[in-house]
Amino acid sequence: MLDRESTFADPTILELLKTQFIPVALDQWYTRRQQDTEGEFYRRIAGQGPRSDFNRTTQGLYIADAAGTLIAFNNNRGPERIRALLEKAVADYDSPDATPIVREKTDPRFAPRLPDGAVVVRTHAKVLSGYEPTDDRWQQIFQSAVSRDNLWITADEQRQLAAGEMPESLRLRIARFHLVDDTRGEPPTWRREEIRQFDVELNNGTISGKFRLETADQARGFEGTLRGVLAVESGKLTQFELLAEGNFWGTGTFTMQPPAGKFPLAIAFRLADGGDIADGIPPHASRGWVEGYWHPER
Amino acid sequence: MAKPRNRSPHYTKSLCLFVLSFGLHGAEICGQETHPDDLQQRCAAICQPGDAPWRSVPWQTDLLQAQHLAVEQGKPIFIWAMDGHPLGCT
Repeated sequence: MLDRESTFADPTILELLKTQFIPVALDQWYTRRQQDTEGEFYRRIAGQGPRSDFNRTTQGLYIADAAGTLIAFNNNRGPERIRALLEKAVADYDSPDATPIVREKTDPRFAPRLPDGAVVVRTHAKVLSGYEPTDDRWQQIFQSAVSRDNLWITADEQRQLAAGEMPESLRLRIARFHLVDDTRGEPPTWRREEIRQFDVELNNGTISGKFRLETADQARGFEGTLRGVLAVESGKLTQFELLAEGNFWGTGTFTMQPPAGKFPLAIAFRLADGGDIADGIPPHASRGWVEGYWHPER
Repeated sequence: MAKPRNRSPHYTKSLCLFVLSFGLHGAEICGQETHPDDLQQRCAAICQPGDAPWRSVPWQTDLLQAQHLAVEQGKPIFIWAMDGHPLGCT
């Protein structure tokens, strides 16, 4: 979130990445664990840096050559520092005698794929108000952030939607994994028993409903309304627009410093058109247990 | 029952605007009256702009594919490795 609005908003950095580098974006939670060819190459590179304990995060920015030799690592923010790092790497770069690595193995545990016939729905969350004014640049970025995740809907669920039914699996998946405040980082999802209310109706392609999610200690919750429309043609979703809006309260380990008390949060869902590379990113809640994502009743 | 796809220009002009109009028109949300004139502004606030600068970079999402391109083009690899996917939730 912060990187997008600082380092990767710098015109010089963007131009360098586009013309002088092969840029790749990874969720290292997956890559450092993968017991496969890609994971081995990643660990070869990251293992040369300061974050070589692969039981812990290896988050950061890496520059490496095609043979896997680490050229630079940085996990600090600030365009000036990264710009200098990139410019030095380009100036010093000596392309190695390397060949394309053959993918001999793929670790299925960390390679969730969209099943045949399933569709992707983009989700965006935004805190609408409630933050205390600040002059801190980083806090300002968090406070104005719009999140991005993907909701996956199976072929069978689309068939049920076409029949005018809201599938229980989809209802629970939206409630547990997508009605979250992920605007400041990786959010906690909801346990099934934390769904206090999720009354949603599907009537002639119109979605409406109310929801209330709350932890047992009442420290975190989200209460609001659902409004939307959908259309299905030949068993496939051709339109899915949904807005969840209400009052959120509380925080998670990686979503600290929310507004005080209850604050308005809106989450917009829109059917993806495949035109965005992020459409191919697995839902955040599927990480490490994709079966649990598909079966939120468990 | 499937709803026929609505091809009205009002729908295609701005799907997100439609959703917000549908959801918020005249409604009292979060304790504040929502005026229809605010809808477009609120839509822009929720929907991530497609032309955000970081999105102009041709990010790869597969490190081996990036390695192949690095060999082919004689360029270094730049890895943006985060907790949570940098292009999605992080």
